[in-house]
Amino acid sequence: MSATSGVFRVVDRIRARLEGPNTIGNSRGFWLGFALVLAGAFAYPTFVSAYQAGNTALFLLYGLLALSLSVVWGYAGILSFGQVVFFGFAGYTFGIVSINLGSTLGVTLAIPVAVLIATVVAFLLGYFMFYGDVSGVFVAIITLVVTLVLQTFMAQTAGDAWTVGSVALGGFNGMPGIPNLAVGTEATSVTFRGGVFYWLVLSALVVSYLGLRVLVNGRFGYAMVGIREDEDRVEMLGYDIRRVKLAVFTLGGTMAGFSGVLYAAWGNYIDPSVYSLTFATMPVVWVTVGGRTSMLGAVLATVSIEWFRQQLSITGSEYAMVIVGLLLLGVVLLVPEGFVPFVHRKVTEFRSDPTEGIPDAPESPGEGAAE
Amino acid sequence: MVNGINLLLQFLDSFAFIVLAAIGLAIIFGMMDVINLAHGEFIMIGAYGTTMTYNAGAPLPVAIAAGVAVTTVAGLVLERTIIHRLYDRPLDSMVATWALGLALTQAARILFGNSLNSIGIPLGAISYGQFSYSLYRVLLAGVAIAVLVAAYLVFTRTEFGVRARATIQDPETAAAMGVETGRMYTITFAIGSALAGLAGALYAPTMSVVPGMGSSFLVEAFVAVVTGGTSVLLGTTLAGGVLGSVDALLSNLYGTFVGQIGLLIVAVAILRFLPTGLSGVVETVRERRERDAA
Amino acid sequence: MSSNAPDPAGDPNIRETPAGKTTGPDTDTLLQTQGLVKEFGGLTAIDGVDFGVDEGELRCLIGPNGAGKSTLMKLITGRHDATDGRIFYDGADVTEMRSHERVRQGIGIKFQVPSVFEAMTAFENVRLPAQRVVDGDVRERVSDTLERVGLGGFDDVTASDLSHGQQQRLEIGMAAALEPDLLLLDEPVAGLSLEERGEIADLVQELNDDGITFVIIEHDIDFVERIADAVTVLHQGAVFREGSIEDIRADDEVRRIYLGGE
Repeated sequence: MSATSGVFRVVDRIRARLEGPNTIGNSRGFWLGFALVLAGAFAYPTFVSAYQAGNTALFLLYGLLALSLSVVWGYAGILSFGQVVFFGFAGYTFGIVSINLGSTLGVTLAIPVAVLIATVVAFLLGYFMFYGDVSGVFVAIITLVVTLVLQTFMAQTAGDAWTVGSVALGGFNGMPGIPNLAVGTEATSVTFRGGVFYWLVLSALVVSYLGLRVLVNGRFGYAMVGIREDEDRVEMLGYDIRRVKLAVFTLGGTMAGFSGVLYAAWGNYIDPSVYSLTFATMPVVWVTVGGRTSMLGAVLATVSIEWFRQQLSITGSEYAMVIVGLLLLGVVLLVPEGFVPFVHRKVTEFRSDPTEGIPDAPESPGEGAAE
Repeated sequence: MVNGINLLLQFLDSFAFIVLAAIGLAIIFGMMDVINLAHGEFIMIGAYGTTMTYNAGAPLPVAIAAGVAVTTVAGLVLERTIIHRLYDRPLDSMVATWALGLALTQAARILFGNSLNSIGIPLGAISYGQFSYSLYRVLLAGVAIAVLVAAYLVFTRTEFGVRARATIQDPETAAAMGVETGRMYTITFAIGSALAGLAGALYAPTMSVVPGMGSSFLVEAFVAVVTGGTSVLLGTTLAGGVLGSVDALLSNLYGTFVGQIGLLIVAVAILRFLPTGLSGVVETVRERRERDAA
Repeated sequence: MSSNAPDPAGDPNIRETPAGKTTGPDTDTLLQTQGLVKEFGGLTAIDGVDFGVDEGELRCLIGPNGAGKSTLMKLITGRHDATDGRIFYDGADVTEMRSHERVRQGIGIKFQVPSVFEAMTAFENVRLPAQRVVDGDVRERVSDTLERVGLGGFDDVTASDLSHGQQQRLEIGMAAALEPDLLLLDEPVAGLSLEERGEIADLVQELNDDGITFVIIEHDIDFVERIADAVTVLHQGAVFREGSIEDIRADDEVRRIYLGGE
C-alpha cells in the first residue's frame, strides 16, 4: 500500500465526517477551493500592515458570532435575538477578571472564566425557555426582551456604585483598558496583537466551522435538523427535544461568548452598545443574508456586510443602515433561503441540466431567418 | 417613600403610553400574525408629521390630525408593497419589518436631519403640594381609554367589526362566509397605522423628535402585545394595566431604569408562565365559571 | 366488553378475549386505560374510557366522526394530557410520562395527517428514528426498514416526491424502525387506491406476525375486516361495543350510530 493512497484514505475518512446532507459543499472541488482560500487568509497578514490585519480580525470574530446563530437558528430552528447577551456577558466578564487580576496569568484565566459565564447564562436561559415548553416565535421574543433588559440595565451602571473589584462597569461610557489576549505567565507568554491576533481569530473560526460541520453531519445534527423541520414529529420518534434544544442553545452561547472575549480584547473596550437592538439584530442579518442553512454563507455574509458597513462609515455615508435594512428586506422577500444556498441551488440545477438557458436551434434556415 | 398621588399619576401616564403605543401593533398582530417591528418607525412618522405641520403654523389639533393622516397613507403604501407578503409568517415578518424600520429611521435622518424643533408640551402641570405632574400626559390616559372604548364599539357594534373578529378567529371560515380577507387585512393595517400615527402625534409635544424616537415606543408596545394574549382589546388593556403598574411602582421607588427593567422582567415571566397571555388567563377563568354555572 | 367465557376444559385462567384469542397467565395486557377522561374547555371528548389491548393483538378502533378516536390515540401517546384517568403500558403507569418517554417505552405512532419530513430523503427520514435504537452504523437498518415497507431503492428520493401511499408506508417504516411493541396507526389507508390498501394490509399483518401489537383507526370496513383480530367501537367519547368484526357488523345498534347520528 503506497503512502499516497494511505493519505487519501485518511483524507476520505476525515471528509466522511465533515460531509453530509446537512451541509453545502461536499465535493473535492469544494475542499480544494476551501483550502486555497484558507491559505490566502492565513497569508493575509504578511502583506498588509498589522493594523489592517487587526481590523479584519474584527470581521472574523463577528463571523464566529454569526456561526453561533447559524447553528442555533439555521440548524435547530431556534431564532434567538439573544446571542449578543452571551457575547456581552463574556466580554464584560473578561474585562472585569483580567483587569482585576492584572497579571498575564490573570488574563489567561479570564478567558475560560468569561466563556464559562456565557455558557452558564445560555444554559439557564435555555432551560428557562425550553423546559417551560416555550417555542417558536416566543423564543425569539423572550431572547429579544432579555437583550433589552440587559441594555437598559448596563446603560445605568455609571457611577462608583457599579464596580466589581477595582473595575467600574461604566454605564454608557463603557469599560476601557481591557488588555489584549495573552496566554501564559509573566515569565513566558504569548500576547495576541495585530497579525498574531488575526491568526488566532482565524484559527478559532476555522476550527469552529469544521467542528460544527462534524456535529451537524452526525447523529446530533440529524436530530437538530429534524427539530427544525417538525419538532413534534421528532418528539414522537422518542427524542427529548427539550434536551436537544438546550444543548444546541448552550453551545451557541459558548461560541458567542468566546466571540465576545475576542471582541473585548480586540478593542480593549466594551460598552452597552453590544446589547443594543441594532447589534442584537446584526447576527440575524448576517445569517439571513448568507443563508440560514449554510454556515459558510453566514461567515461570508458577516465579513462582507461588516466590511461594507465600515467602508460606508469611513466615507461618511449615512446610507449604511438604509442599505443594510433594504438588503435584509430584499433577502427575506426575494431570496428567503439566503445567498449561498440560492447560488448553490442554481449551480446544482444548472449542472444537472446543462442545456437549460440555451435556446433551441432553429428547425430550418428559413425559421432562423424569420426570427 | 411612595407618594400616593404621584404614583397614581405615574400609573396613568404609563398606562396611557403603553396602551396608545401598543393598540395599533396589537390589532395588526391579532389579525394578520404579523409582528411589525417597524411599528416604532410608524409612530415616528406620526410624530414627524405632527411636528412639521405644527412648525409650519397649524394649530396642535390640526397637526395631530395631519400626523395621523400621513402615517395612514404610509402604512397603506407599505402594506401593498411589502407587508402583504408576510402574513402568517410571524418569524419572517419580525426580521423583514425590523429591516424596514432600520431603513425608515435612517431615511428620516437623511431627509430631516438629526432632530426637529419640538412642540412645547401644552396644558401645563398639575400641582399638588410641592410636586407637579404634566397635565397633558395624564390626560392622555383619558385618550387611551377613549381609543379602547372606540375600538371595542367598532369591533362589536359595526358590521366591519364583526367581520374583522370573524377573520381574526378563523380566516378560512370567514372567507367562506364571503369576507374579502385581502381587503380586510389592508383596512386593518391602515387602522393599525393610523393608531400608531396617533400615538406619535399625541406624544410628539412631550419628547424630543428624533429619528430614533420610535424604539422607546416599540419596546413597550411589543412587550404589551406579546403578553396581552389572543384577545386584542382585553389583552392590550390588561397589559397596559399590569405592566403600567409595575413600571409606575418601581419607577417611583427606584427610578426609571429600574421601572423599565422590572417591566421587562415581568413580561418575560408572563411569557414563560402564562402561555395564553393575560387575556388568556381571564378567558380561562370566565370559561370555568360558565362551566360551573352550567 | 370482553366475553369472559371460561374454557370448556374448566381452567379459570384461560379465557377468550374480543380478539378471539385465548389468553392465559402467559398473555399480557399490553395497553390498558382506566376511566380516561379528556375535556377541552367545555367539551368532553373522551368520557370515561376503559380500553385494553393484549399483546400481539391487531385491534381496530372504529366509530363515527367525532367519536374521539384520534383524541384517544393522542392521549395514549401523550400528545394530550388526560383530564382524568390512568394509562397503563406494559404494566407501568405512563399517565404522567412525556411523549418521548412513552415512545421509548415502546409505543409508536403514525399520525392521521402524513407527517414525514418533506425536505429530507426517505433514507434520512428513517435514519432519525433508527439512530436512536442502533449503535454504530445505521445504514443497514435503514435500508432493511425501507425494503420491508416496500420502499427498497427509494433511499435517495426526497419525501415530498413520494406518492401519498408511499409516504404512508414511509411513516409506518419510521415508526417501525423504533422497534416498538405497540404501534398506533391513525387512518393508514386514507386516500389510497384499492391495491395500495391491500399492500398496507399485508405490511401490517407481517409486522403483527413479527410481534408488534397494533391499534388501528380506520373507516374502511373491508380493510378492518381483512386484518382485525377484534374491533372496538367508540361513540361520543365512550366505548360503545367491543367484539369480533363479524359481531360488530351484525350489530344493529352499531349501524344506527353510524347512520342515525345519535
